Amino acid sequence: MPRILIVEDEANLAKGMQFNFEIEGYDVAVAADGAEALKRLTSKGQPPEGFDLVILDVMLPGMDGYAVAERLREAGDFTPILMLTAKGRPEDIVRGLEGGADDYLAKPFELPVLLARVKGLLRRREWARGGAEPAAARVGEAEVDFGNFEVRARGQTFHLTLLEAMLLKLLVQNAGRVVSKGEILEKVWNVSPDTATRAVDNFIMRLRKYIEADPRLPKHLHTVRGAGYKLVLEA
Amino acid sequence: MPASGSQLSGAKRRKWLHITVGVALIVVTVALTVGWQILGASEIARAREAVTLRWVVYFFGTVLFSLLIAGLVLIVTLLVREVRLNERQSNFVSAVTHELKTPVASLKLYLDTLQLRELSDGRREEFYRTMQQDLQRLHATINNVLNAAMYTDRHVVDAQPLDLAKLVRHSIDLTVTRHQLPPDCFRYEGAQELMIRGDATALETAVLNLLDNAVKYSKDKVEVRVEVSRNGDGQAHLRVHDRGVGMSRAHLRFIFKRFYRIGREVRRSRTGTGLGLFIVKSVVKGHRGTVSAESPGPDLGSTFTITLPGVIEEPEGGQPAAS
Repeated sequence: MPRILIVEDEANLAKGMQFNFEIEGYDVAVAADGAEALKRLTSKGQPPEGFDLVILDVMLPGMDGYAVAERLREAGDFTPILMLTAKGRPEDIVRGLEGGADDYLAKPFELPVLLARVKGLLRRREWARGGAEPAAARVGEAEVDFGNFEVRARGQTFHLTLLEAMLLKLLVQNAGRVVSKGEILEKVWNVSPDTATRAVDNFIMRLRKYIEADPRLPKHLHTVRGAGYKLVLEA
Repeated sequence: MPASGSQLSGAKRRKWLHITVGVALIVVTVALTVGWQILGASEIARAREAVTLRWVVYFFGTVLFSLLIAGLVLIVTLLVREVRLNERQSNFVSAVTHELKTPVASLKLYLDTLQLRELSDGRREEFYRTMQQDLQRLHATINNVLNAAMYTDRHVVDAQPLDLAKLVRHSIDLTVTRHQLPPDCFRYEGAQELMIRGDATALETAVLNLLDNAVKYSKDKVEVRVEVSRNGDGQAHLRVHDRGVGMSRAHLRFIFKRFYRIGREVRRSRTGTGLGLFIVKSVVKGHRGTVSAESPGPDLGSTFTITLPGVIEEPEGGQPAAS
């Protein structure tokens, strides 16, 4: 049974979401602020509670949702995050996604859409983890382990967020072929291909830091001007 | 829009840039003026001819320079004020967005749930109660925004006799019901009847806002003392004293300003739009009264005092028009 943590200070909303997810067969816990959420997610000293997904409100007392997502990622936790907020402008969405969220939903939302997004995120995680081939890949010297969301290279281990893993998997699946930015936005971010954002470029730069010996002179992950990106497994 | 740390610090940086440039301009102009005056005065002192004319030119030059500096100071002051208002306004948009969208989101969620699920009668009743709460919250926010627009810069045209003591006691009852509080949370002291001339609806809005704040900013236990009294010179006093979170001296100056809220919006811990006290002030001003706030400091509670003129010494004939 997938476990969901709902981080929402508005009691009515939290209660309503909890009710619905429990009916759908999820195991649900609620945290009323960011500090409590971080404590439950990282659970220092105790066995981690093992959440499969976090629904995170942006406007929270004390620490806002962006900060919670960033702290969580810094702490090495890559549980998928669905961000919820009253602000639905493109720049808010991009900021959330760049800060560590994996999906974004503006309030007020349709209940079926919320349920579908959560299902989708869990499915995407399965897809990135091993539901779709390959489960592992070798890019030059770097070993990619999609099952554990890890890249091992140069004696170091890097953790991948869900979006990073999905982007890398898409590139690995299409190795040697140019993948357009639009295709990436559609398949990884689940947004319209013509969304104006620097998110893809930022993620490509992040991936280069993991797999390239010198990220400024990429040998594997190339930008093809005006067309998109191309991954070359063996340089 | 203070959604993010970086955007907020960007806005802050811009604000400081404006202020720094303004102050730098003032300093340069003052330095230039003083330099010119010293040079001019010493030159005139050495001059042999047309001394009077030179002094006249010197005098007018000084006046013009002073005007220039005064104008510059005025512009920088206005600029700072404008920047502050702008900041509060974007906070307001953020707060109202949240205050309007949260209950709407909740109502929508429960409505969707009622449509989508088979529910027991008990569950259904519970959801209806939740939706009632959300509707009340939405209604309160809408009223706040409308009242702020309605009572701004408006004097009471048609002042009617009303019983302020009764109006306050009625407001206390309303607040107790609205927040589902035990009745002993509020202690009423003072006059049983106090007739004044005013706009009953507006005054009730103001009093309700003060009482609402006292509850909202209370800590675990709500303990509010409300006093209504009159002094000799025909003025009525209303004092609301709470033992809540209080505030520091720095905030006291600003709390009656439109859209002002303590703390950053994205990390807000109490709901609101920053209009409540502004409405209180507008209503009181409309009655030519005054409102003030005191707090010994954070966590030490606060006291709000409204003073209203127009006490009717002898109750007039006919029914008082208290609400």
